Amino acid sequence: MLLKHIVKGLVITGCVLALGACSAPGHKAGQDEDGGYGANANGGGVQSSGVGQGSNFGDSAGGPQQSLAKRTYYFDYDKSQIREGDKAAISSNANYLMSHTHAKIILEGHTDPRGSREYNVALGERRANAVADFMKDKGVNPEQIRVVSYGAQRLAAPGRTEHDFQLDRRVVLVYTQK
Amino acid sequence: MIIRKYTTLLFILFAALFSHTAFAMLSMELTRGVSGAMPIIIMPFDTQGVPPTEDVTMIISNDLKNSGRFKLSNGSADDKVTGIIKEISPNRYQVSFQLVEGFKGKETKPNVLLNRKYTVSGNELRSLAHHISDAIYQQLTGVRGIFSTRLAYVVVQRSGDSTKYVLEVSDQDGYNPKPLLTSTDPIMSPAWSRDGKRVAYVSFENQHAAIYVEDVSTGARQLISEFKGINGAPAWSPDGRKLALVLSKSGTPNIYIMDLGTRQLTQLTHDYYINTEPSWSPNGNSLIFTSNRSGNPQIYKLNIATKAVSRVSYEGSYNARASYTPDGNHITMLNRDSGLYNIGILDLDTGVFRVLTNSSSDNESPSMAPNGSMVLFGTLSSGRSVLGMVATDGSVQIRLPGRNGEVQDPAWSPFLS
Repeated sequence: MLLKHIVKGLVITGCVLALGACSAPGHKAGQDEDGGYGANANGGGVQSSGVGQGSNFGDSAGGPQQSLAKRTYYFDYDKSQIREGDKAAISSNANYLMSHTHAKIILEGHTDPRGSREYNVALGERRANAVADFMKDKGVNPEQIRVVSYGAQRLAAPGRTEHDFQLDRRVVLVYTQK
Repeated sequence: MIIRKYTTLLFILFAALFSHTAFAMLSMELTRGVSGAMPIIIMPFDTQGVPPTEDVTMIISNDLKNSGRFKLSNGSADDKVTGIIKEISPNRYQVSFQLVEGFKGKETKPNVLLNRKYTVSGNELRSLAHHISDAIYQQLTGVRGIFSTRLAYVVVQRSGDSTKYVLEVSDQDGYNPKPLLTSTDPIMSPAWSRDGKRVAYVSFENQHAAIYVEDVSTGARQLISEFKGINGAPAWSPDGRKLALVLSKSGTPNIYIMDLGTRQLTQLTHDYYINTEPSWSPNGNSLIFTSNRSGNPQIYKLNIATKAVSRVSYEGSYNARASYTPDGNHITMLNRDSGLYNIGILDLDTGVFRVLTNSSSDNESPSMAPNGSMVLFGTLSSGRSVLGMVATDGSVQIRLPGRNGEVQDPAWSPFLS
């Protein structure tokens, strides 16, 4: 009973202080001059918007399931050439897009953390564009593809080993609409 | 009754915890020291009445020591600082200080160089201490001090699968950190306006890059650019009316200038290479930027009137993120040599390039102090991202230990008053 009250008091106290902390000097959600969105409030994580892994929506794509489910493609240091081993998977997803013309994807370009941040954004975009161009060459409607480069701002493996760096240098294909 | 007592207790406990977090310091740590520094004596300030919570003597001592130009001395020094802090009413203080020279040679009569008096409230004592450091520094070196400037940087907090990005502004010594923007999506490339009142930055909220300008004191912000593709690397012109930026709406990243009054864009580079990280010359006539047109990233100079481009950097296989010293005679940049990324400085007159950081870990994002005396940058300490500072003459290197999370992508403010 006593404990319950203490917990209640604690929650209220926490809220009051948290509100105070939020509203003090920083940016508040919904106060943008241009009526834009507040990143504080509900700027959702990018990863949450994909279709589920291993779903079987690709039945009609004609490619093997595994190939369609492979949606992360890795790159060499400072390079934006697609590896031979990834071309089958990218083709399977291209086929899916061509047979599902309302489907849409985002191609996220990423780099490892070394080097200059804005240069890495440019490098990440080159990687994502390499995948986008490959798909367009296969016949995918460009309207179905959006490219965004995060550079080194969303690392796959925040460690500093060569293995971590390899996991970071990637393009991730995300379905935003099936 | 008991409950109320507990609540009060908890409130105090929480307040203590929160205020600790809010004012937790990035206390500076000298990691390379000091040759050719001027010895100076700083006497503990006399306090009359209730002593304030801020240690004014220590703040001044740390400022001068961390500048690399001064060495604190107890005995033999030519210059000496004394001061008095008098409580004149509750939380109101009169602070006076003197800077006197002529203590080394006893035959000369001491000469008063500075003698000033201020009245401030308790929460202004810290910034007053920095102001006094600025006055002493300028008197003795002839160069304006940077102790009242601020830093902007990005804190990345990872916990499990979720990552939080906070754009923060703090004092130059890491104290008084305050959030400008908190997001679950990346924030990068903060850039101060020339009056220090606004910060431009890139935010990836809603899964695309956009450039915003935020008022530092009110938190109000404006969307500046959200074209298809990259919206990056904002840089304010010296007159504060234009923003250089990078857009890839043409297909590849190119440099543009936006007139902030009319929002009109002028495209400056028109090619299929990477062109990014524009930075203005002090006279506003040219930009330096990073391009891989030679195969590797190197620094180029672009004449805004003629659009002529010439290569600036030749040392090493990777040079990026360059910016000028305020006199326009040097540029600092990120440089890779034998696999490691260091901060270097290029003398534009002689062509001599010097590496300033010779750490065994990678560094990033050099940003020049407004008096050209130091470079702020991101570095690694025990595998974590923290901020570092190095003197442009290489004499001193400082680390600002991070608090919770990775601290990266820093930008040094201009002079603020």
